[in-house]
Amino acid sequence: MISFQATDEELAFVEVAKDFAKDRIRVLARTSENHLKVKEDLSEEAMELSFLSLELPEAWDGLELPLISQVQILKALSYGDLGIVQGFPSAGDAASLFRCLSEHTELQTIKATYLANTDHPSALVDLTDTEKPFGNTITVRNNNGDYILNGTTEPVRLAQFAETIVVFARDNEDVAVVLLLNDQEWLVEDGDYRIGLLASGLGKLKFNHVSTGKILAKGKEAERLIEKVQTRNYILQAAKQNGLMEAALDYATQYTAERKAFGQEIAKFQGVSFKIAKMAMETRIVNHLIWNAAIKVDEGSFEAFSLALRALHRAHKGVRFVTDAAVQLLGGHGFIQEFPVEKWMRDAQAQVALYGSEREFLARRGAALLEEQGQVSVE
Amino acid sequence: MISFELSEQQKQIKEMTHWFAENEIRPIALEADKLGKVPDEWLQQVNRMGIQLNTSSFSGGKGSSTGKKKREREGNRMGVLATEEMAWGDPAITLSLPGAGLGGPPIESSGTPEQKERFLSIFTTDKPRWGAYALTEPEAGSDASGVRTTARKVDGGYILNGQKIFITNGGRASWVVVFATVDSKLGRAGQRAFVVEKGTPGFSCTKLVKKMGLRANETAELLLEDCFVPTEYLLGGEEFYDSSDSKPSGFQVAMKTFDSTRPIVASMAIGIARAAYEYTLDMVKKEYPKQGKYFYLASEILAEAEEDIQAARLLTWEAAWMADMGIANAKEAAMCKAYAGQMALDVCAKSLELLGPTGLDGHLVEKLFRDVKVFDIFEGTNEIQHLVIARRQYAPFGVRV
Repeated sequence: MISFQATDEELAFVEVAKDFAKDRIRVLARTSENHLKVKEDLSEEAMELSFLSLELPEAWDGLELPLISQVQILKALSYGDLGIVQGFPSAGDAASLFRCLSEHTELQTIKATYLANTDHPSALVDLTDTEKPFGNTITVRNNNGDYILNGTTEPVRLAQFAETIVVFARDNEDVAVVLLLNDQEWLVEDGDYRIGLLASGLGKLKFNHVSTGKILAKGKEAERLIEKVQTRNYILQAAKQNGLMEAALDYATQYTAERKAFGQEIAKFQGVSFKIAKMAMETRIVNHLIWNAAIKVDEGSFEAFSLALRALHRAHKGVRFVTDAAVQLLGGHGFIQEFPVEKWMRDAQAQVALYGSEREFLARRGAALLEEQGQVSVE
Repeated sequence: MISFELSEQQKQIKEMTHWFAENEIRPIALEADKLGKVPDEWLQQVNRMGIQLNTSSFSGGKGSSTGKKKREREGNRMGVLATEEMAWGDPAITLSLPGAGLGGPPIESSGTPEQKERFLSIFTTDKPRWGAYALTEPEAGSDASGVRTTARKVDGGYILNGQKIFITNGGRASWVVVFATVDSKLGRAGQRAFVVEKGTPGFSCTKLVKKMGLRANETAELLLEDCFVPTEYLLGGEEFYDSSDSKPSGFQVAMKTFDSTRPIVASMAIGIARAAYEYTLDMVKKEYPKQGKYFYLASEILAEAEEDIQAARLLTWEAAWMADMGIANAKEAAMCKAYAGQMALDVCAKSLELLGPTGLDGHLVEKLFRDVKVFDIFEGTNEIQHLVIARRQYAPFGVRV
């Protein structure tokens, strides 16, 4: 039955997350950005409230929530500040891999750290798109069963803090592999990041003949695993972007309802109010496409990957539009740091750059539509 | 629990209406457009089958839509599902199907039991009949509060004078819900809704207009010249307007109607967009190269079209779900209408872009492009929808935009 009603449990969790976002995250957004790191006490609170282990498996002391529940909670948290949510020292984008391979032998030491309630930030490096410009400076060579990595990645979230790195790659024989690095030496290039997500530990990972024998998956198995993890991550990232959209929408609505010009609230000018209406529609659309994809993942549907591409494409487009519109509606105030919207617009652009090209998502989704029966999904 | 899976009943109605759209409507779509009307014998035939379009729900197969095992109301969701399928077949023919049409919701929401019985019971299988909804006037379109048609109180009823334009099925309708003012100085509070029956002295159809699209569907101009309407035909009765503290008016009747009809109109736009998309996808599969610049161009355009269609559909489902749950949905109804109307035109234009000059010659998509534009206009223009959304958005701050 078609229903847009969240469960009581989801609503309760979202309420706690939204309060935490407004009362704790939002107020520390600037400080965290200036310190290039989330304040430790905030991270501890988030951990205590289980917000950093939504995706982790129960066997690892995580909540292992369905994706449809997670997207609602992550949206609420990101309403506070996307930069902080992306900078929490957590399993990050590797969490989905840990969930999918929770019993893998090579992951048991990492599992132990989570069971001990220890901070254990992880980063995920996806090198599978070998045609990607700027990404081809790194090589992954199969050396009689071990893999040797050479080169420097593009900027990766949580790179500065990561104690474990998961690598998705295609090796020198074009075979897909999923590798684990946690007791090797790698370097992190500090870089010169100014645009956004400054508390998220952005950095380039530099591998100088780094060797690992920790192979989590290989060949077809790796391809399936990579797609599964990508699917979950696309949706989780889209949900965070949707939270930022809602924050920008609400802030701009209140500002334009209170700000006066030409003797009246600027909301009364249709150039302003219509833009707010468009922002509201776009925010709602992104929400629904995320839910649509999340439900399909929870059902284990074959459509899930393609719908995740669709959700993240729309979330990219939406978050750019809504955060820009918020800055525009605040006028000069939108451009200065006394107001949060300039940061949100910067964070949005950094997020979009980190998590995939909109056009590429469209091209992949379109190719899938042309290959398959091409019906617009109804269920 | 959040779910986008159709219930058994919803699946059934979707399958049934799709079958009908594919096998009965689509085959005559281009011909009906050329003729500028839906063939009478076709309308008689489908009416005998019990196929009608009501704008609050689709009824088909001789009353089979009233399920007995329902645990919750789902008429609005059934309505949008069925309407999307029908409009996918052809929107002009869908709008021409017998039934109460846009006149149904105001009678259902505001009519007395006697009025409901009198006006809604006429849609039987012996003969096709229509209802209609007449709000728009030459000087009052988007500003529905500016209606100039007058209703002067006289013994036993009212005398109506005025002109109505752009009335779907207005010429053939057995009755029309007409909005008029008892006192223009009262503004919205002075508005009333009347049901005027065909053949009433002083009530006539003066013109059937020719249009860019939806050519098979009748759009009429109506004239009311000293037209006497008995008090019993004042929607809700005089007590309805006198007794309530909230002072209901014809304006509120008109606005309330939109909350249930806008998702239906949005679902029609979605059906049109889907028809254009599927037609084009099929053509691209057959005619385009499997790689290279044209393949990538088509991939991107089609993916964006499909995404936009689903975005509109989910907004529409949400508005319909809220209506079924009894949750106020004016904002969501406006959202789905605003988005779907514009999206559908865009999808039709993108489809024509992919078909190129070939698409101009006898292809369904050019007709859909002509048909779809009005979905961004009628039942409240795109701009009016934006206004409705913005008003709801600013309501918590006490600012009326």
